[in-house]
Amino acid sequence: MSSVIEMKGDRLGTREEFETTDMALFVRTSDESMHNWDRQRIVDALLRETYVDLDTAKEVAREVEELIATSKIKMITAPLIRELVDTKLVERGLEQARKMHTRLGMPLFDVDQLILHPNKENANVPHGPEATNLTLAERIKKEYALLSVFSQEVADAHMRGDIHLHDLGFIDRPYCSGQSLEYIKRFGLSLPNSIAMAKPAKHPEVLLAHMVKFAAALQSHFAGAIGWDSVNLFFAPYLVGMSGRELEQLAQMMIFEFSQQAVARGGQAIFTDLNLYWEIPKHFEDVPAIGPGGEMTGKTYSEYIKEAQRFAWALFDVYLEGDGSGRPFFFPKPMVHITEKFFKTPGHMDFLHHICDVASEKGNTYFVFDRGETAKISECCRLSFKLDQTDLEDAKQPWKMRYCALQNVTLNLPRVAYHAKGDDTLLFSKLTEFIESAVKAHLEKKFFIEKLLSLGEKGPLALLAMDRDGSPYLRMHRASFLIGMVGLNELVQIHTGQEMHQSKQAFKFGLKVIAHMKLLIDRFSERYGMRFVLEQTPAESTAYRFAKLDLKYHSPKSGHVVKGDISRGEVYYTNSTYLNNSAVLNPIERVRQEGLFHPLIEAGALTHIWLGEAKPSKSSLANFVIKTFQKTQNDQIAFSPEFTTCNLCHRTSRGLRSTCAYCGSEDVDGITRITGYFTKVSNWNKGKIGELRNRYRNQAFLEENEGKVLLNS
Amino acid sequence: MDGLEEEGMGSLKIFTKAKCPKCPGVKEMGIELKKEGVPVLHYDLDTIEGLAEASFYSILSTPSLIIEDEEEREVISWRGVVPTLQEVKQYLFRGLS
Repeated sequence: MSSVIEMKGDRLGTREEFETTDMALFVRTSDESMHNWDRQRIVDALLRETYVDLDTAKEVAREVEELIATSKIKMITAPLIRELVDTKLVERGLEQARKMHTRLGMPLFDVDQLILHPNKENANVPHGPEATNLTLAERIKKEYALLSVFSQEVADAHMRGDIHLHDLGFIDRPYCSGQSLEYIKRFGLSLPNSIAMAKPAKHPEVLLAHMVKFAAALQSHFAGAIGWDSVNLFFAPYLVGMSGRELEQLAQMMIFEFSQQAVARGGQAIFTDLNLYWEIPKHFEDVPAIGPGGEMTGKTYSEYIKEAQRFAWALFDVYLEGDGSGRPFFFPKPMVHITEKFFKTPGHMDFLHHICDVASEKGNTYFVFDRGETAKISECCRLSFKLDQTDLEDAKQPWKMRYCALQNVTLNLPRVAYHAKGDDTLLFSKLTEFIESAVKAHLEKKFFIEKLLSLGEKGPLALLAMDRDGSPYLRMHRASFLIGMVGLNELVQIHTGQEMHQSKQAFKFGLKVIAHMKLLIDRFSERYGMRFVLEQTPAESTAYRFAKLDLKYHSPKSGHVVKGDISRGEVYYTNSTYLNNSAVLNPIERVRQEGLFHPLIEAGALTHIWLGEAKPSKSSLANFVIKTFQKTQNDQIAFSPEFTTCNLCHRTSRGLRSTCAYCGSEDVDGITRITGYFTKVSNWNKGKIGELRNRYRNQAFLEENEGKVLLNS
Repeated sequence: MDGLEEEGMGSLKIFTKAKCPKCPGVKEMGIELKKEGVPVLHYDLDTIEGLAEASFYSILSTPSLIIEDEEEREVISWRGVVPTLQEVKQYLFRGLS
């Protein structure tokens, strides 16, 4: 057998002690093959991957070889060699080179655990092989992001928990998006890398099929929600002459298609938002309609109001019934826009009652309030884009209306307060520091995505670079960069001694903090020519993460401030700008007070009204909605009932129970909203479970007394 | 609001912003009234304090004015419109019987 190690050149004569047979080494490499040992490979890798010079590389290679020789290792893997090389780099103080040469991945033990036990970071992801694939891939991409996309400074801020960079495992994607059906109506389905090409649809069922396929393709390019504007309106030209039965069937198909688990992002359903209007939005009134075959029909959209309304009604009929087991559909999410024009459109009260019926029965309806002359496209759970003059120009060619948020970075507000130790100046200056980190992170992510996009339709983001109408699908000049926040309530609590619901001063202080953030990011927006906007981060796991980290780094103070049960580990901070979940507040008061923040939070906001097992009448909900629109600034509300579904008898009852109300089985699952969407409680992380226990439920909700509306809490 | 309540007289909060054409006139009005002893507070929406206070009252456009009584309850507000000096005085001194 030939000697497997060759001592090259100048080192002959210093190696008497080892025997050739000892070095009969095969190296198991990562591409599943076995190679003979050759230290030249180390040199090649160092030269290819780092800026290390040839001499140093050769020296390192020799040292590693010697190390292996004297250690008498029998079997060696390429990863192990890489680590040994890294050690040599560290010894020489070559930190940069080591970073560039490092291997990403997970320990064997962790992979084993992962395949067996579910990961609770995202309540949407069911456990299974796709989900495991997702977690493993995300792990590597996360490491990559923190090492190679973001600067050390930003990465450290994230690791410390000053800020949270969302969806690091999806570093090569933007965050969420909003689009128009007009795009596929007009251009058909001709996606880069797809096997077949489809011409524009002639029939509504086919249009639906195109929509679903396109949504799936989009979902694999975005970390978050895929939103659709004015869905019922854009379908309308295809629905002319359809019977009630046919419409019902189309509505069923749409909801079925979007409610089933797909394969995107580890086996989750596509995160779909359907924006719906009872009226014809003003900016679409005179726009020429596109109909079957992608042809102009010769009419404008205002002439399709009947079809649009019938379809919207039919969708809510389906939502009202729920799925085969009577459970609410988790997706798609229907967002109904309430505007001044809504109230002037005939039939609106009946429709309002219908959607409130659904809200009370099943909880699906999101009520989005577009007040004044500002039109808004609420594209994702709370991300909304205010249409400005250029957008209103685009509205004449609606396929152009494509928006996205590139990234979300959330600030740990309670931590700002711990640092400030009660001093106002320190607080605002620390807050500024955190915002600067967030802005830096955004610049770095933008740079990275632009790099990927620059490779065009042959590159890694081909779908987003595809150009059918004169500009790439992803319009960077209309991208938003989100800055979110967690725990305003706790910041105020730490700094003033009171929670926001406890005094006017405390509440006003909260407003000051957000006002500061808004004014500052507006300045950054001007400076960089980018749209920085505040967002209410859904914070599914971030509120939990920040609380845990602060218990570690800011005890004992944090122990008095975090919410939830420390002994059970079910800790969390109050989400974004919300008042404490457990505060006993009349619901309209909560909506009004939380709404005071909403005009500052341009990317959109939401107030939850937790119903528990209460089932208010549709008319009391309708009155509540009208009152919210007229008397508050609240951006968006959703009523959230709770359900228990039985895995044994498959029936669903109201309220959260430990046993089935019908058959008594203990094999039950709770269903309610986690942040912006419905899911099973068994999938929730500990922080969210803690919050669930604390939610103040508006049990005796509204009562109507001889036509007057009384509000009970 | 210490030291600002006077018997029977409300207080006036004025909200303005830079680049707002009707704001200078309203600011002038505030200065006049202050000379006459009315508790007047100016809030500039381009500042933290101003924007926060404006948000508290759901003030979305400028110029805006709010008159509050001694218990900090709103008596009347003008949002995005400019009242006459007379109108303002009328509501300010309403408390006086």
